[in-house]
Amino acid sequence: MKAVLEARNVKRTPLYDEHILRGAKMTEFHGWMLPVQFKGILEEHHHTRSKCSVFDCCHMGEFRLKGPKAIRSLEAMVFNDMICLKVGRCRYSSILDTCGGIIDDVIAMKLSEDELFVVTNAGPYEKVARILYRVCLATDVTAGTAKIDVQGPLSRRVLLDLGLRDIEPLKYFTCCRTQWQGSEMLVSRTGYTGELGYEVFLPNALAAPFWREVTAHPAVEPAGLGARDTLRLEMGYTLYGQDVDESHTTLEAGMGRFIDWNSEFHAKEFLVMQRELGRYKVRTGIRSMDRRAPRPGYEVFHEGRPVGVVTSGSYGPSVGYGIGMAYIPVELSMPGTRLTAGPKDMEIVTEEFPFYKNGSFKG
Amino acid sequence: MNPQHLKYSQNHEWIRDDGVVFVVGITDYAVEQLGDITYIELPEVGLDVAQDDDVASIESVKAASEVYAPVGGRVAQINQRLLDQPEIVNKSPYEDGWFFKLEDIERAEFDALMSASEYESYLKEQ
Repeated sequence: MKAVLEARNVKRTPLYDEHILRGAKMTEFHGWMLPVQFKGILEEHHHTRSKCSVFDCCHMGEFRLKGPKAIRSLEAMVFNDMICLKVGRCRYSSILDTCGGIIDDVIAMKLSEDELFVVTNAGPYEKVARILYRVCLATDVTAGTAKIDVQGPLSRRVLLDLGLRDIEPLKYFTCCRTQWQGSEMLVSRTGYTGELGYEVFLPNALAAPFWREVTAHPAVEPAGLGARDTLRLEMGYTLYGQDVDESHTTLEAGMGRFIDWNSEFHAKEFLVMQRELGRYKVRTGIRSMDRRAPRPGYEVFHEGRPVGVVTSGSYGPSVGYGIGMAYIPVELSMPGTRLTAGPKDMEIVTEEFPFYKNGSFKG
Repeated sequence: MNPQHLKYSQNHEWIRDDGVVFVVGITDYAVEQLGDITYIELPEVGLDVAQDDDVASIESVKAASEVYAPVGGRVAQINQRLLDQPEIVNKSPYEDGWFFKLEDIERAEFDALMSASEYESYLKEQ
């Protein structure tokens, strides 16, 4: 097994041994060995919605941008404002190519007036690292930084029980630095599940001790990529490389509401044209009529005519029916459009995101 | 782990000789591959099936797949409970989680299926 891993250059997170000890089912995800599930996807999904789960997200990228010039340079590539972002706030954004294609979607956190912390995906990591270095002279801190997501309605209680008192006042999409066992860590109130939750960035050496301590809490269970996928899908959040990538513009990806049209960025001219022309396929929520689910790759039909393709789809454990997302023409994307999908002409209907509306994330 | 008294197909179905009818389900290996099962569609009673026809649909959180008839015959009964509680298959693939029962089966096809030990060897090659 070791030889195979090395030959294919599959990386391990600092929590790899913890997962093996727990008997997690492991899989390769964008070059990393990560747990798909511990006890079962459904159980982990419901545990996150009702109590608190922890996720190993050490595969993700982290970069530090220092100085107004670096932040301005980043701003030229993303669709919203970074300079005026207030200290302690987080912002969802995307690094775009000049035609609005999504090179990566990111969370930026303003650590101080002149420092930005940027969290990126594992898939496009090499490319993003190159761009952020060349354009912003960013410091890549990925290799030394572990990321553990603590998500669920009880997550605040759990972190307070671990002694992280500084997180108590954090509002949705804000962050703070704090200390744990004498080491500094960064905590943001952000997440990918739709529940109250935090993303904890800490030195690699602290990852396993922190993981052991948080999983020892009676409210906490570890959860894998499987539950992470059903949880994010119920919220309509995208998975980079599957639902969004460079072949879709940010408008097509349905991120129009995040775009700051007053901000100046290199893809703006193209996106303004695309918006005015209005003829494109947009990422749209779809649902089935029962527990069957549309699946990635299913073709979508309107009155028998092929109109698009499903990028994500699964059973939604908290909504009780099949859900997914598909790229379909804007004129068919309003909620309630009846379509069919897949080889068996599954009946589907377009629906607004999020599918799951009782999430505690803003509570 | 796979019961000795059953026969097995290469598509990971099991079949049990109950005398008049033959009970069909999916193996522990298949269940393990699928993970949490969320939806099952069963054939209509009275349907004539040939060996390897896809006769039932099964979906899990991870994937959608088909269940094939391990032998030809006629559907005599279906496990209605699975329609509302597909998770029964996860809990009890060889007992409560049976899919359907066949009658008037092709005996020669049944005899040619794998024994438990042959199926174990087959799994090792997967």
